[in-house]
Amino acid sequence: MPKLYTFLKYFFVVLWACFVIAPFLWAISTSFKDFNSVTGGATYIPWLQFEPTLDGWSVLFKPGSQGGINIIGPYFNSIFVTLTASLISIVLGTLAAYALSRYTFKAGIVKNNDITFFFISQRIMPPVVLSIPFFIFLSSLGLLDSLAGLILVYIVLLMPIAVWIMVDFFNRVPREIDETALIDGCNPFQAFFKVVLPNSVPGMLVAGLFCIIFGWIDFFFAFILTFTKVQLLPVKIVALNSSITPWWSLSAAALVSVAPLIIVAFIVERYLSKGNLSGALK
Amino acid sequence: MAKIILDNIAHTYEPNASNPIFALKEMSLSWADGGRYALLGPSGCGKTTMLNIMSGLVNPSHGKVFFDEREVTSMITEERNIAQVFQFPVIYGTMTVFENLAFPLKCRQFPEDQIERKVKEVAEILNLQDYLNNRAKGLTADQKQLISLGRGLVREDVAAILMDEPLTVIDPDLKFRLRRKLKEINDKYKTTLIYVTHDQNEAMTFADNIIVMDQGEVVQAGSPKDLFERPQTTFVGYFIGSPAMNLYKCSASSKNEISIGVNSFKVQTNINNFKSENLKLGIRSEYITVENEHSDNSLEADVIEVEDFGNYKLITASFDSFKIKAKVKRELDIPSEKVILKLPAEHCCIYEDNKLI
Repeated sequence: MPKLYTFLKYFFVVLWACFVIAPFLWAISTSFKDFNSVTGGATYIPWLQFEPTLDGWSVLFKPGSQGGINIIGPYFNSIFVTLTASLISIVLGTLAAYALSRYTFKAGIVKNNDITFFFISQRIMPPVVLSIPFFIFLSSLGLLDSLAGLILVYIVLLMPIAVWIMVDFFNRVPREIDETALIDGCNPFQAFFKVVLPNSVPGMLVAGLFCIIFGWIDFFFAFILTFTKVQLLPVKIVALNSSITPWWSLSAAALVSVAPLIIVAFIVERYLSKGNLSGALK
Repeated sequence: MAKIILDNIAHTYEPNASNPIFALKEMSLSWADGGRYALLGPSGCGKTTMLNIMSGLVNPSHGKVFFDEREVTSMITEERNIAQVFQFPVIYGTMTVFENLAFPLKCRQFPEDQIERKVKEVAEILNLQDYLNNRAKGLTADQKQLISLGRGLVREDVAAILMDEPLTVIDPDLKFRLRRKLKEINDKYKTTLIYVTHDQNEAMTFADNIIVMDQGEVVQAGSPKDLFERPQTTFVGYFIGSPAMNLYKCSASSKNEISIGVNSFKVQTNINNFKSENLKLGIRSEYITVENEHSDNSLEADVIEVEDFGNYKLITASFDSFKIKAKVKRELDIPSEKVILKLPAEHCCIYEDNKLI
């Protein structure tokens, strides 16, 4: 019985691994093909079944005058906007979440849980509802088509995620840890910064991962709120599309854009396990 | 170090409610400097609330707290200089054992050499000297609890060390050694130790003074001997001692005599002036003796069960419709059907409305 269980376990894990990795292999293979290789039926093995070419990749780095889209600028813009907005969201979100977890707020019928829900409710709203207010808001601040404007909007979008994850994290951290720090001689701020915060790194990394994912993949607001001066990666990649879909360069772009997320996921993955999230203190 | 005085303290967690429930009912209590106390009572009786009021984690809704002459009621926790150990080990997971133990001293800006000396001294007492450079997170539950305890011990000048069922997670052998260690620390440094527990054996073996609480009230404070021999309420009689005190509803037949069913017993309490119908006789099973013949204060009971605990025998018997338990020497031969038990008058406690007369 245990042998059968082990066999089935590994069988499904391998099956799942194939399911996950197949699109990547397909995209890698396609990115090295040309028009004829893509449209001439399914081929898998380079040199044997098709002649690999770097055309799909070179388009990404060539300037517009040479028929390319040059993603280097937008790529770094995306990294800068996503990281800055995520970092600010995590810092503010962690502080808000700690307060919501440890202190009791009451204004009429509004209590801690309602405030937490208010944060999350910002994510429930369809983005299109926010597009016009954001447009007018950034326009009045003179921040349309700017990195600062995008960062501001992304903070609004990402902070609810950080608050949501961190409130749950702090709720699972025993209050005794804060109380012990107070007893040991810290004031409430020192207790938070010296004791609670260092122990909250796993939670913050997980919240950071989600913020980075949601910030990195956003197309909608990057498209609405920027024009020519500033462009982010998703908007730039869309510019690749033409009457003949360039599957080879789209595949290359997809691989380039997903690479940072894979790297971040690999770093944060070990903190995603439940034990690390809840057992940081006891 | 200081004498801790709770002056008319009471606490409710819902001060704005029209009919608030009090976790701690109004009481005054003082804890002598250097004393070794146990706070004993069932779960939810207000022990932890009382500790938290002393440490400043909870502000009492009524009354004042004094450390010696100094009122500390509204003083924040870090200024009270109290150490508190919780039921479950609380360690700073990102720090080493050394850093954990040094933390309270670092927060109070002690010089480095003094920190090092004190941490090593405490680590030695707690057998943690080999782990000082290890991450605290990787240690076992009892080692982690030792760290919590150690953080309380590194400060020599603490007003008191409050321990909230600190040995729950520790294995029995180490528990015994630690209790002895705590006693030694109390003798050596004269630090006031207040030990919360619901385990009467732990309280009896640890403390010079035991405070028994029930439903937010202090029901008796005294030495282990007082609590055992003269429980002030039937609750204390029932809660302290294993097995619990034998308690029987009785009626007064004359000035020094009560009757339980058809049996009469002489007592040393004057029960002439009792007013309530609710009169009870209490006697510890340790004081009941097995006799060969009937005499004063004896009764004949049917043996239900005799349990051999190795160092003593526990007889469970019945008379009228009551059950009685007697703890006797192991060597004694117990008849298998009928037994004559004697309830010595000097050990009979009489309770009126559950309070000792």
